[in-house]
Amino acid sequence: MGIISVEQTVRLLWLGRYTERVYTTLRLYYSSYDTMIDEGKNEGENAYARFCQMIDIPDIYGSKEVFKEKYPFDEENPDSIFSNLNRAYDNAIMLREEIGSEALSYIQLAIYAMNKAKISRAPFIELQRVMDNILAFWGIADDNIDSEQTRNIIKTGKRIERLDLYARLGVGRKELYREICRLEPRVARSGIRYDAEKIKYMKELVEKPEIDYYKVVHEAETIL
Amino acid sequence: MKRLHFDYTMQIHYSEPVSTCHYTIKCIPPDTDRQRLEKTEITLSAKEDPGRSRDSFGNQILYGRVEGDHTDFSFHIAGDVSVNRTACESKGKEAMLGLFRYPHGLAVPGEELAAYYRTLKLTGSAYEKGAALMHRLYQDYAYEKNVTDIHTTAEEAWRLGRGVCQDYAHIMIALARLEGIPARYVCGMLVGEGYSHAWAELLCENGWYAFDPTNNLVVTDSHIKLGVGRDAGDCEINRGVMHGGGIQTQQISVSVTEKG
Amino acid sequence: MYNYELLEHTDTVNELLARYGVKFGIYKNNTFKEQLFPFDAIPRIIEKQEFAGLEAGLKQRVQALNLFLRDIYSDKKIVKDGVVPEDFIFASSGYMAECEGVIPPKEVCSHISGIDLVQGKDRQWYVLEDNLRVPSGASYPMIAREMCRRSSPSTFENTLLEDNRNYAQLLRRTMDYVNTGGHTVILTPGRYNAAYFEHSYLAEKTGAHLVSGAELKVKEDKLYYVGYDGRLERIGAVYRRISDEYLDPMNFNPESVIGIPHIYDVFRKGNVALINAPGNGVADDKGIYYFVPKMIRYYLDEEPILQNAPTYLPFYKKDMQYVRENFDRLVLKDVAEAGGYGVVFGEKMSKGQKEEFIRLLKREPRRFIAQEVIDFLDIDILDGKQTVPRKADLRAFVLMADEPLVWKSGLTRFSRNPDSFIVNSSQGGGFKDTWVLSQ
Repeated sequence: MGIISVEQTVRLLWLGRYTERVYTTLRLYYSSYDTMIDEGKNEGENAYARFCQMIDIPDIYGSKEVFKEKYPFDEENPDSIFSNLNRAYDNAIMLREEIGSEALSYIQLAIYAMNKAKISRAPFIELQRVMDNILAFWGIADDNIDSEQTRNIIKTGKRIERLDLYARLGVGRKELYREICRLEPRVARSGIRYDAEKIKYMKELVEKPEIDYYKVVHEAETIL
Repeated sequence: MKRLHFDYTMQIHYSEPVSTCHYTIKCIPPDTDRQRLEKTEITLSAKEDPGRSRDSFGNQILYGRVEGDHTDFSFHIAGDVSVNRTACESKGKEAMLGLFRYPHGLAVPGEELAAYYRTLKLTGSAYEKGAALMHRLYQDYAYEKNVTDIHTTAEEAWRLGRGVCQDYAHIMIALARLEGIPARYVCGMLVGEGYSHAWAELLCENGWYAFDPTNNLVVTDSHIKLGVGRDAGDCEINRGVMHGGGIQTQQISVSVTEKG
Repeated sequence: MYNYELLEHTDTVNELLARYGVKFGIYKNNTFKEQLFPFDAIPRIIEKQEFAGLEAGLKQRVQALNLFLRDIYSDKKIVKDGVVPEDFIFASSGYMAECEGVIPPKEVCSHISGIDLVQGKDRQWYVLEDNLRVPSGASYPMIAREMCRRSSPSTFENTLLEDNRNYAQLLRRTMDYVNTGGHTVILTPGRYNAAYFEHSYLAEKTGAHLVSGAELKVKEDKLYYVGYDGRLERIGAVYRRISDEYLDPMNFNPESVIGIPHIYDVFRKGNVALINAPGNGVADDKGIYYFVPKMIRYYLDEEPILQNAPTYLPFYKKDMQYVRENFDRLVLKDVAEAGGYGVVFGEKMSKGQKEEFIRLLKREPRRFIAQEVIDFLDIDILDGKQTVPRKADLRAFVLMADEPLVWKSGLTRFSRNPDSFIVNSSQGGGFKDTWVLSQ
């Protein structure tokens, strides 16, 4: 049709954001889980609480056992990885004709893999499939979607989310700067109105001796 | 023949802003065998001119949307209508008559109305039956405001025993249809009354005869017709659908006067 | 006759269908659930010659139904000539006064018709029901065929059958034919609709945009899609998958939040095609079903090619008498119900229930139809490694473009329960592909 509605734009953006959120939090969960395997051997370790703090979600779990189960898989918990994957699916399912059945199928497969991981004693194997499917989704979205604008809106969502998460995690200056630079051309090509000043301001924030990470989060969240 | 001047104003105020509203207004007197619209003046609070159309009953429609926050909506329609003492309106399209033979919407009789109907034992021509119906109803039903509302059915209104012109019209229509006489609902205005009015038309021998059961009189040249349908729902004067708005208060003023 | 290798791949096909989200939604205890639609790999096979007969009959039937709809909302000649009693029009819940005098673009009322058929043990096909409002189901055999071909290519290498994946082209042609200028969209009530998969899949395959009501607006008697920046694109045809009642809060149910205010006013002016046209419910009523063969004779002056199941209308004295005398062998259907609801079998009622039902019948004779119970020709389904016979029907699709087009396939639905006659997906059960042989 050549033009794209507000509703459609919002769905594409959030599809990008939620897939990114699932992907990045899964990667973090991996390394945290690995630490937790050894926990209890040494006193005073509490990897899961550190994890909650790191990604800026409330610690509602109480123990590492509960955390290991609820954080990735509890669909009632809005911060769980599964909930975020469900939100990605909610947006994707409304976009079949825009992104294509092939691209949509990878989100669907990620959901099936997540369901298997939930009941598995070695959830990593299935969680790896969740990641594989998200990577495949991004690959096909890049390769197969005709409309450049559609592709760029999904990627804008993805870039905003990455920047947002990295700022919350307090990653290094260089990494954060790189994410701002990756967002810049995407949002410019998305056709969405955005505040170009905010890109400039975020770059300034990152160059300051003390980075105010919450300001970066705020700017990233309000750029559109 | 009389020349009547009418004036219809509706003002709606919202306690909170409305971002978008859609409206449909059916408030333009049609030209019929009895009445002719001579001039009209339409003012709407909407910036854009309304679209114009006609529904399946031939009622004229004004419609459109208002965009941008607003807390008031109003329309004002005024004009002159010449009204004859014509006895009836012509039958109209044969294919449409069946519509007025079957119970519909608010004019559906229930057990009590059906029981009342059986006591009536109407005789004579359709016109005579219509007149008898009107007299009986005027006798057996009481006028009282604020006991019924626009969603009250004929059966509910009858069980209650009192109501307003809309209820009289619905009951009369339901009863006429039980008798096998096609009947339709008319929404309109009446000389000297400050509200919109409603009455019934029955298809008797050679055309549609109008009976006003609220006032127990055969309609002649003091009534202006606005809309017609199977029941009140088919000729609602305005319908609005809006986003936001909070509590709405609505003010309607109607006047019909005879011009010298 | 064909290579049975496909049957070994039933699980693969079902996995692929799950991958592509071939589901339907249902509400259980007020919560929404998506369910897979179980696929049975044994196809229903219809010979070329046999389908040619069905095709001719379906075209004839749908042409007559379209003429009926045009007539009912204008001159009502068929009523005036005493073929269909007025009662079955004006007292029908499907009749909509709002459609009187409104002429749909190119005078097509039922663009997409789903005609439900069953085959009796005598091999005779009978029409059970016409669906002229929003019939769904074509997408399932369409995508199942695709997945079967992927799972078992060799099965298809040596089988000469019609490719049913052309449904999207037929639909596109149908939508384009009535388009009044502008884009074509598919309007969905949203992902919580039972047939949402179909809405999105047909949008993808036809290249029509899938939209919700909020994305469209009416301006100056035309319909537009509203862009992100406020730009407008004209819409000339809407394949709407929402019912009449919810289509337009300004003309129908004012409570509807999924419709588009004033879209019906645009339609009335001939500035947009609504697919299917509003008001079609008057023609797929179970009461009107009885009259379809008469309609074919009346409008087309032809003998009906397809049979109805033998049907009686208690509305007629003679039929009421028959129904009372033969109550035990008849099935009674409430004309206002659909989806397998409101269906009772005479033989399954107790004496008291029967008497009560007959009293109800006398009180509301128009509300029910009675039919002879057809001795279904069961078809095989896979149950583990075995095959077992089950009841099944066939929904054939007829599209009305510049000429009637019959899709050379159809949705075959079956009941899992060996005692059940009810094959609706909303009541459990699965589906099959329908193969129409090309030689």
